[in-house]
Amino acid sequence: MIQSTRSAWRPERAEHRFGWSLGALVFILMVTLPWYADAYTITTYTRSIYFGFLALSVALLLGQGGMISLTQTIFFGMTGYVIGLLGAERGIAFPWPELAGLLLVVVVAFLFALVLMRTYGLVFLMLSLALGQIGWSFARQNTSLLHGWAGMRGIKPPELFGLDLSVSSHFYWLSLAVFCGALWVLWRIVESRFGLVIRGIRENPRRMSALGYHVFWQRVAIFVVAALFAAVGGILAAWSSGIVTPSTLHLNRMIWVLLVVILGGARYFWGPVLGTVIAVWLDVVISQLTPRYNTVIGIIFVLVILMAPNGLLGLWDSLQARRRRNRPPGSAL
Amino acid sequence: MIIMLNGLTQGALFFILGSGLTLAFGVMRIVNMSHGAFYLLGGYLGFSVLQHTGSWTLAVLAGGGFVALLGLLLERGLLERIQAGGDLSQTLLTIAFSMIIADLCLATWGGHPLSIRAPAALSSPVRLFGFLYPGFRFVLMLTAVVIAFGLWFLLFRTRLGMAVRASVDDRETVSALGIRIDTIYSLMFMLSAFLGGVAGVLGGSYLQLSPGEDITILTYSLVVVIVGGLGSLLGTLISALVLGQILSFSLAFVPEMSMFLVFAPMALMLAIRPQGLFGRRF
Amino acid sequence: MKYQKVGAALASFALAGLLSAPGLALAADDGDTVTIGLLSAFTGPFASFGQLQKEGAVLALEEYGNQVAGKKIEVIYADDQLDNELAVAKAKQLVEQDKVDIITGLVSGDEGLSVGDYMKGKNIPIVPMYAASEDMTMREGDPYIIRPTWTGAQPMDVFGYWLAQDKGYKKIYMIGEDYSYPYNQAGGFKRGFLRGGGEEVTTVWHPVPTSDYSSLIASIPLDQGYDAVLYNGAGSDAVAFVKQFVEFGMQDQIPLLGQSNTFEKPDLDSMPAEIVGSYSAHLTTDDLDTPNWNTFHDAFEKRWGHGPTAASEFAYGSMKMILRAIEALDGDVSDKAALAKAMLAVDLSDEPRGPVSLDDHNAAVQNVYIREVAQNDQGELYNKGLFTAKGVSQFGPYDPALYMSQPADSRSEPAGKRADMPAAMLTVEQDYELVPFGQ
Repeated sequence: MIQSTRSAWRPERAEHRFGWSLGALVFILMVTLPWYADAYTITTYTRSIYFGFLALSVALLLGQGGMISLTQTIFFGMTGYVIGLLGAERGIAFPWPELAGLLLVVVVAFLFALVLMRTYGLVFLMLSLALGQIGWSFARQNTSLLHGWAGMRGIKPPELFGLDLSVSSHFYWLSLAVFCGALWVLWRIVESRFGLVIRGIRENPRRMSALGYHVFWQRVAIFVVAALFAAVGGILAAWSSGIVTPSTLHLNRMIWVLLVVILGGARYFWGPVLGTVIAVWLDVVISQLTPRYNTVIGIIFVLVILMAPNGLLGLWDSLQARRRRNRPPGSAL
Repeated sequence: MIIMLNGLTQGALFFILGSGLTLAFGVMRIVNMSHGAFYLLGGYLGFSVLQHTGSWTLAVLAGGGFVALLGLLLERGLLERIQAGGDLSQTLLTIAFSMIIADLCLATWGGHPLSIRAPAALSSPVRLFGFLYPGFRFVLMLTAVVIAFGLWFLLFRTRLGMAVRASVDDRETVSALGIRIDTIYSLMFMLSAFLGGVAGVLGGSYLQLSPGEDITILTYSLVVVIVGGLGSLLGTLISALVLGQILSFSLAFVPEMSMFLVFAPMALMLAIRPQGLFGRRF
Repeated sequence: MKYQKVGAALASFALAGLLSAPGLALAADDGDTVTIGLLSAFTGPFASFGQLQKEGAVLALEEYGNQVAGKKIEVIYADDQLDNELAVAKAKQLVEQDKVDIITGLVSGDEGLSVGDYMKGKNIPIVPMYAASEDMTMREGDPYIIRPTWTGAQPMDVFGYWLAQDKGYKKIYMIGEDYSYPYNQAGGFKRGFLRGGGEEVTTVWHPVPTSDYSSLIASIPLDQGYDAVLYNGAGSDAVAFVKQFVEFGMQDQIPLLGQSNTFEKPDLDSMPAEIVGSYSAHLTTDDLDTPNWNTFHDAFEKRWGHGPTAASEFAYGSMKMILRAIEALDGDVSDKAALAKAMLAVDLSDEPRGPVSLDDHNAAVQNVYIREVAQNDQGELYNKGLFTAKGVSQFGPYDPALYMSQPADSRSEPAGKRADMPAAMLTVEQDYELVPFGQ
């Protein structure tokens, strides 16, 4: 199914106002959450947000770039480790450990991309798996610096804008704000010419190259950008849990994120966010009923791949398309 | 010296694992990400069979056999359905299977690591060059050699093998010749799963089975197969031997870097020569 | 595409989540129930410990009929798979969603420290049942952390001292799991051993978990005058190491020693009989014969079909302390500070494993038993008591301030050679008096 090279969205005029007001409602609900929801709900939504960053990272590469990358959790955890090393253990104050983490992510992502971007498809997937595993095994086995299996603890969020971030509602608002910022950045990228080029490369790299684009460097660029998304999420996650362990970087987590993105719909702007919210809440609900969370997720994964490869939003879309076909032309929405 | 023997033992296990994976890929272009889960399931089933029957040989055959049947079910039931979706969809599907199988294993056999008792006859220490070495590890090496020979014979000296090799090159012509391609695919996948399950029982006998092992085993299998070349038996053999030595020596001298040193060749190979040592361009 | 449709989908899911959230919160702080969260490892390399803790805790609960002073006692078991990040996440769930009154369980030292980090300021008592990271009751102590069990160094200091003094060992080769609890065990061991007259302890660390020890075993030096090999690990790692140690025929070449948990049942049952005679030290031993122990032992065996081990006894004792404290408060646990104080005031002198009292840092002072692996008439392996050291503190024979002024135990601290040990740590006013077991 060849998708158009337009971005995933172009709201029709008539729907504009309705869409905006609904979006505003959701936004208000989210902002006021701490006033009507209990502590655990806030914690869960905060979790959804920082995992959401990871999902955005994967979706950027998958949905826009057509690349399944299994390295994203490395960048997610990397910032946490740097903050632990510099902040928790050596007492260097905000924002230096965080910035150092982001810088390290850029460097490593760049190096990874140099190797990765000469490959496509299945080879790309396996190479990213290898790189991801290298990162994980380094975190797992290095005890002198990274404490191996035990990980880094004692990470504390800083005081920002006069807000004490150890209060969970404050932290939630910060996360929400940063996430909205990230969504805005993502929107700009998707709508920009860069986004167009990446989608073009996804469809036909050879043609893009013939058109004069530096396919290799464009792909490197999108990889680094995606890594940064994951990295920012990782900072929030580290602040929130106070601890980073090799399991933050583990393949299990990576597969979960991949599933989450595919569940929501990789090619849709809101797909990863939707998928993350559903998956995190599923975690809460399912773990109260059965410890077999992984089995349920695995089954859902199978169903999605078989029946809804474009995710829930894709399903919604095809239902809409069918409804549209059945309606006579010219009628109002 | 012992370290080298350890390397050979590891290499033997790697080969058995890798041969299964490479077979599945070579014939069907499927990167079976459930291979690690097959290992784990086969091992656990073997453990239970041993507990109930007391026969280790039966455990090996049962472990491999049940997993082979499971492989058949999966291949027929689901993988064929999405052939159209392409390699990536199939790979994702096998990832999903892997999650389900691993979790069900956890539910059935619990979280505590299990060890399979190999028969005493096979396990007694062997005196070699003045030191003792566990006998079972030689059994493992011997098994790998037998399997290698068996596979070679199957692929290069039988008509079935000829059909398999031909279908790798040119699927359409082979099926036009009247050979049942689908049957061949299913048989090969079953064989691949069988090897995975058997590896599980063998591995569980000299090491241990525990949750999470499936991911480790999968990644090792992938490394072996990618370095050797997907689809190439000879490549798997050579890379298994080399990687076994790398792992063994690094565990002895630089245990902090042991996993890194095993994964690095895979990354290098994919970056420089994606088809591996002996594979074909794909 | 359709802005509104997607927005609608998003909104409906958000609403669904919000609406279901309050419903998901389990019985909130119900006036009639006291909720206890037991966070432990039920899967992973130390999974047996989680199960043992549950068994010990349940036995104590059933003795009280699952209620105290008219209040129902509800225990929520949470599995953190021995992953520290998950431990924190589960602790959050227990505190925020399930609103527990007490947190207990905890197997590994790091798990304890991580959960302790999160719990700071939450003012909920934490009773670690097995987590032995000493800093929880030393350098990172807290009035809400009460530990009637042990620290990693506690039994090992006695062990090292005994080996040097009574057995005359001079050099030990230690292979250990690379994380904080074995560091603590190694630290205590080094201090006791070097103080008792030993010369050197060489330590080699391996990642957790490791299944193939062949290379490590192959590199044990047999010609450098080491008196014994000490395996500083537990669970499946210990089982694998010991099996492979014997497979390589090493037990005939050099004696094998264990850390406190190495030879614990049920892992001991998976080990080969060739290790009979191997020493270790712990706060319990399998052939204790006091009235308190026998009552406990028989009740445990009747309930679960197998004998208790240290982990289950610790869980039993801790849970009993908790229940007695609740009883002392007449079931009113709303004032957590009072609850913590009540726990400290509980009389623990009738503990099955021996008399226990709590010191000023909320840690246990108790008997340490030196034992060896023996085989009974049925061919089963068990730990046989050899010597007892009474009233051992978490600081050993050292002055608490001096002890805490030293750097925390780590991969390389304390030093492994007598010459590198600070003089203040090599002599004490009053060292252990070991009496033959049973006295």
